Amino acid sequence: MKRTARAPRLIAVGGGKGGVGKTFVCANLSVALARSGYRVVAVDTDLEGANLHTCLGIRSPRVSLADFVAERESDLAKLLVETPVANLKMIAATDANLACAQPGTSRRIELLAGLRRMDCDVVFVDCGAGSHAATIDYFLVGDGGLLVLHPEPTSVENTYSFLRAAFYRRMQVAMKKHEVRDRIREAMDQRNQRGIRTPLDLLHEVESMDPGEGKRFVSTMREFRPRILVNEVVTAEDVKLGFAVRSVCRKFFGIEAEYIGYINRDAAVHQSVLRRRLILDEHPGSDVAIYLHRVARKLMEALGPPAARVAHADPGEVIR
Amino acid sequence: MKTLAEMSHYEVLEVTPDASPEDLERAYRLARATYAEDSLAVYSVFAEEDSSALRERIELAYRVLTDSQQRTVYDTSLGSEVAREDEIKIALDLVLEDEDVPHPTPEVAPEITEFDDFEEEDGGRVDGAWLRRFRLRLGVEIERIASITKINPTYLRYIEEEKFEDLPAPVYVRGFVSAYARCIGLEPGRVVSAYMERLGGTRRAEAQGQRRGWR
Repeated sequence: MKRTARAPRLIAVGGGKGGVGKTFVCANLSVALARSGYRVVAVDTDLEGANLHTCLGIRSPRVSLADFVAERESDLAKLLVETPVANLKMIAATDANLACAQPGTSRRIELLAGLRRMDCDVVFVDCGAGSHAATIDYFLVGDGGLLVLHPEPTSVENTYSFLRAAFYRRMQVAMKKHEVRDRIREAMDQRNQRGIRTPLDLLHEVESMDPGEGKRFVSTMREFRPRILVNEVVTAEDVKLGFAVRSVCRKFFGIEAEYIGYINRDAAVHQSVLRRRLILDEHPGSDVAIYLHRVARKLMEALGPPAARVAHADPGEVIR
Repeated sequence: MKTLAEMSHYEVLEVTPDASPEDLERAYRLARATYAEDSLAVYSVFAEEDSSALRERIELAYRVLTDSQQRTVYDTSLGSEVAREDEIKIALDLVLEDEDVPHPTPEVAPEITEFDDFEEEDGGRVDGAWLRRFRLRLGVEIERIASITKINPTYLRYIEEEKFEDLPAPVYVRGFVSAYARCIGLEPGRVVSAYMERLGGTRRAEAQGQRRGWR
């Protein structure tokens, strides 16, 4: 797909475990960027547990992504709902089909293509929990998805399984040859017969099959640059977890993740969710708000100013 | 992507070849904590034999690079690969430290230097939360500050949380805040006057409240 200068930048927010604050982060960053002058669309892809609309103060959206999945609507622009924040619109994920919430492969491809064509500066994609194929594809749509994690073993474990799934999927789609793609699929089974345990093992395997594909593998690895955000930190040790996870990304996955920041634990966050209000508005001077603004600032530095933004190749163009 | 065997000592510690002794010290502490046996960060990702191999390499890298003689010999052996340094620099996405530091040198060795630019945008308000944010971005626990300043960690926590009613007389608080500020590299004068003003304001309000029988 040819991208134009007007194509939006896509930032997915994911991370495997439920309850780590993905939706909270997605909502507040969307608002922060919208208030800085970016035209933002926040898309909830969590069809099994839609929440983003609530975080943004919308009670019951009349249309949602479920209409796209059910093929009642093909134009994503018609699913946009206004939010109380200027410059920010959203697509909710409410009222999904209880029997089968996620779209099939071909509809998913259309959805991802539609997101890249949205008329705005930035699209935030809120991913659900787990490492379902659809969730991974939503995460990989972006220019460097945001991995949200908690400083606790369960969250760290799920982050790695999520990252592992995303890594293999990213590599698989980047490969040209069928047999190499098949080999990657085989390697996704962590007890595979070939003894491919780590991404490095897989790289060696691909290189031995086809040196050209090996090169493509390496260059795709370099493009895949997730961002790490540690939520609910209390101690300095928690703050340092982001660096440690970044080091593991480097040494285990061979990828350069960015540690974009951390957010402290604060009971006020829970209160703001209960009141369905944004923490940025409820407690603008709180540590949480200050930390969120820092992350937003770093994202904006990477995005460049909203108007003078230049077109760039999208490394997250995963599904062709 | 390199195997552990292919990585240089610098890559193992994730520092640039021009790393100073302080950089090495910091990187070593972080690497050792990251790949420790009970480390949260490696939970579920590395097999035990891989992380123990990594630990050995980290120790070796640190030993070689902190011994100036050994380091020179090692650098010479790396020297044949001229392009290597650039490669490592790109790979490590290095963050150059600012030459003119806006704050005095902290007494406590920072565990993190990458978030140095953070406090600039926080605005003027100096309060307990601000001190905590500053401490956390240096990656320093409260116990560490306590051991350097010899101040009871509970008081340091009260200072951060602004539990003014639990803090001792102002003359002590002044001393504590001053020592705390100096320890994390902040200018004590500015911090103390701003903090004491908050404390004074709150205590005055409380006293008035009590006089008027609000409580």
